[in-house]
Amino acid sequence: MHEHFEEELEKLNTNLLKMASLVDEQVERVFTALDTKNIEMCKGVKAKDVEIDAYDNLILAQCENILALFQPVASDLRYVMSIIMINNQLERCGDIAVNISQRIKKAFDHIDLIKESGIIEMIKKAKEMVKHSIDSFLNKDIDLAYNVIMQDNEVDKMNKQIFKVLVERMKQNPELIEPASHLIVLTRHIERLADHATNIAENLVFYIEAKIVAHKKKLSNRGIEDEP
Amino acid sequence: MDIKLSVKNLEAFYGKNKVLKSMTLDIPRNKVIAIIGPSGCGKSTFLRCLNRMHEVVGGTIRGEILLDGDDIMKKDPVDVRRKLGMVFQKPNPFPTMSIFNNVAAGLKFNGYKNKKQLGEIVEKSLKQAALWEEVKDNLNQSGINLSGGQQQRLCIARTLAVNPEVVLMDEPASALDPISTTKIEDLIFELKKDYTIVIVTHNMQQASRVSDYTAFFYLGELIEYGETKKIFTSPLNKQTEDYIRGRFG
Repeated sequence: MHEHFEEELEKLNTNLLKMASLVDEQVERVFTALDTKNIEMCKGVKAKDVEIDAYDNLILAQCENILALFQPVASDLRYVMSIIMINNQLERCGDIAVNISQRIKKAFDHIDLIKESGIIEMIKKAKEMVKHSIDSFLNKDIDLAYNVIMQDNEVDKMNKQIFKVLVERMKQNPELIEPASHLIVLTRHIERLADHATNIAENLVFYIEAKIVAHKKKLSNRGIEDEP
Repeated sequence: MDIKLSVKNLEAFYGKNKVLKSMTLDIPRNKVIAIIGPSGCGKSTFLRCLNRMHEVVGGTIRGEILLDGDDIMKKDPVDVRRKLGMVFQKPNPFPTMSIFNNVAAGLKFNGYKNKKQLGEIVEKSLKQAALWEEVKDNLNQSGINLSGGQQQRLCIARTLAVNPEVVLMDEPASALDPISTTKIEDLIFELKKDYTIVIVTHNMQQASRVSDYTAFFYLGELIEYGETKKIFTSPLNKQTEDYIRGRFG
C-alpha cells in the first residue's frame, strides 16, 4: 500500500511538473513578445492553453482518487491539498497568459507607450515570480518561496506607478485613451499573474511548514481570528 | 484543563521485562483519548494499568495513576474497576445469561436486589448504548443470539450499568462490520458527554474520527500526545508522522 501510494504521488508530481512547464513556456512567450517587439510570439498561446486545461482536470481527478483511496494525513495530506490549490493557480496563470497575448495584439501599435510606462519591467518581474514559485515547489525550496511572497508588493507598486503614467498620458493625448486603456487592463493581468505566483509560494509554505500564511497581515490588522 | 485521570511516571512490568517506560500524561474529563501505535507498543497494557487489570494478568506497576486526584494504586481494585469500566476487542456477553441479566450482572454482583431499580438501570444503560430500541421486546433472550455489533453494544451497556466514571475501550470495533463500527463510533461521541473515554485502536481513521486527543506509543514509550487534529495534520515528532502516514519500519 505504501509503494502504491508513493507511485500515485509520483504520477501526480509528474503531471504537475508537465503542467507547470507549459505555464512557464506560455508566460515566457508573452514576455518575449513584449520584450522583443515580436507579436508572432503571441500566436498559438490560446491553442496551447487547452493542454493546460486538460492537465487541470487530470490533476484534480488524480487528487480526488488519492484522497478517496488512501486517505492521506499530515504532510501527505498537505501535499495533496497544495497540489489541488497550485493546480488551480497554474490554470489561472495559463488563462492570464492568453489574456495578455490578446491584449498585446490590441495595443501593439503603441509599443513605445508599453516601453515608456514600465510594463516590460513589470512583466519580467511577474514572469520571474511565476518561474521561481514553480521552482520552489518542485525543489521544496522554502527560502525561494518566501522570496517570491516578498516580491508581490513590488509588483503591486509597479502596477500603481504604471497606472499613473498611463492616465497622465491619456490626459495629455486623448488619442492614447484606447491603447492606454488596453494597457491598464494588461497591467492588471500581469499583477494577477504575480498574485498567483505568490499563492503558489504560499502553498509550498503550507506544505513544508504546516502553516497558512495567506492573508495573515490583513486579518491580524483587523483582529480577525482565522484558526480553527 | 479539567483533568480526570493523571498518569505520572507510569512503568509496567511483566516479570523483569519493562513494557511501559515512565509514561506521564493527563487525560481531560469528558473527552475521548485515542491510544495508537504498532503492535507490542504497550497500548493495551497501558489500558489495563488504568483499571489495575495489569496485576490480574501477573504484571506489576510503578508510578502514580490519579483519578480525580486520588491514587488508584491505594484503592480497592474492585472499586477501581467499577469506576473505570472496560470494553474489550471481542464482544464477550455472558453466554448463559439473558440480555437483561447481562446488563444487570455487575449490579447484582454489587448487591442490587430491587427489581424495579434494576429494571430502570438496565433500560437506561441499554438506551445509553443505543441498543434499547433493538432489544426492548426480547430482554429475556440470550445475549449471544445478538449480532456482533449488538453484542458489543450490550457489553458497553453492561459496563455503563455500574455507573463508571471512565470507559476504557480496547479496540472495541475491530471485530465489527463497517455499519456496526459506525454505530460504536456514534455511541462514543454521545458517551463522552457523560464519561471520559480512553480507546485503543489500530484504525487510524477511527482514532482521528472519534477522539479529541491522541497519544502515540512506540516500544513502551509515549512518543507524542496532543490534540487529535494537531497529531493528524502536523505532528511534532517524526516517528509519529511516519506512523500515521503508514511509513513505519
